[in-house]
Amino acid sequence: MAKEMTLLWGSGSPSCWRVMIVLEEKNLQGYNQKMLSFEKGEHKSSQVMEMNPRGQLPAFKHNNHVLNESYAACFYLESQYQSQGNKLIPECPAEKAMMYQRMFEANTLGQKMADVIYYNCWKVPEAERHDSALKRNKEALTAEIKLWEGYMQKASGPFVAGNNFSLADVMVFPSVAYLYRFGFCGERYPKLAAYYNSLKDRSSIKTSWPPTWLKSPVQDLLKDI
Amino acid sequence: MAENMTLLWGSGSPPCWRVMIALEEKNLQGYNNKLLSFEKMEHKSQEVLDINARGQLPSFKHGDNNVNESYAACFYLESQFKSQGTKLIPDGAAEQALMYQRMFEGLTFYEKLNAVIYYTWFVPEEEKHDSALKRNKEALTAELQLWEGYLQKLGSASNLAGPSFSLADVTVFPTVATLFRFGLSAERYPKLGEYYALLKDRPSVKASWPPHWLENPKGQDTLKDI
Repeated sequence: MAKEMTLLWGSGSPSCWRVMIVLEEKNLQGYNQKMLSFEKGEHKSSQVMEMNPRGQLPAFKHNNHVLNESYAACFYLESQYQSQGNKLIPECPAEKAMMYQRMFEANTLGQKMADVIYYNCWKVPEAERHDSALKRNKEALTAEIKLWEGYMQKASGPFVAGNNFSLADVMVFPSVAYLYRFGFCGERYPKLAAYYNSLKDRSSIKTSWPPTWLKSPVQDLLKDI
Repeated sequence: MAENMTLLWGSGSPPCWRVMIALEEKNLQGYNNKLLSFEKMEHKSQEVLDINARGQLPSFKHGDNNVNESYAACFYLESQFKSQGTKLIPDGAAEQALMYQRMFEGLTFYEKLNAVIYYTWFVPEEEKHDSALKRNKEALTAELQLWEGYLQKLGSASNLAGPSFSLADVTVFPTVATLFRFGLSAERYPKLGEYYALLKDRPSVKASWPPHWLENPKGQDTLKDI
């Protein structure tokens, strides 16, 4: 089972991290894997391009089933391995609905983060950058984070969808951790901070924690958000 | 069931259309619905904000469950109504894997389309650059070639994930229909043209076809040179 799986991944990429969390939760340790470097351009190597013509990570394969989109891999694994490991989709319709809703909102959170963090890196060519755009992106990210602080306040349990760890946490936690990695100030957002602190020691999350984050210091790009 | 559902939607919005196709496929006709206008900013009205703090469409409610993200609503409906209407998630591992993969590539496809056709709508005047729009058009062209390739490998008269109509078609067909509405050339993209022709008369698709597209059959030609 796990031996028939291959994951090509990059350290710190939330998309890669999601798949790794699910593999742990479903007791699929022992999958073939290779860590690649974005900085060295290894995501565009022929090994990746063969599995993923988009030249992106994660690139994931089970037998000859290719699942390069992180959400696709997570749904597939939960579906195929429903009866082993932790159940990642709750039975209760209300919790399930909340899980689906928050999972897809997590995508928006990720995009708004990237719009700020990567604005002056690779996202926007220098000649097209405007202070007004970056300012607007920061305001959008702040509004988004406030929305999530509100969601955590209203949540019926310690997890995003309520009382059970679910695919919603798989999608949301890596993004929240990413915020912290870039200097997010938890004091301003106590509910998100509590969420981060309670989940960071969960076994599947600890095991798959980005190795490069253990070695290098946090950046402070988001300290004023 | 359907009577406990409410959908607030806008005509021609692919995310709204996805949910409407799913509702039809699951035999949930008769849901409460209201057509709102983006131009008149009705997506920011109190009625929408009560269901969806983001002030976006679609906004969808089933009993006390608010499921506004279109993919979330589609998954929710398939899960809650698995035993009625069309089966939208295939059982076989291979077809399921392909369905999930294409559904989520479908999000990228939709973003690249919007980056071209709505460039002027989303980007403030002072921040517009010809270089950016050019790059967005090149990205859309590359994306279209990928999808042409995907359909090529499946052979004729195939749905996106194989022989069965699935959530991949529910989520991606509206994007394909929008491409042709905005003038994409079926000659240059024959496989996409075939796929469009195959599904445009499917009952769920016909029943939910954007009303203003029926009123003005002639679309725009923004994409004619892509």
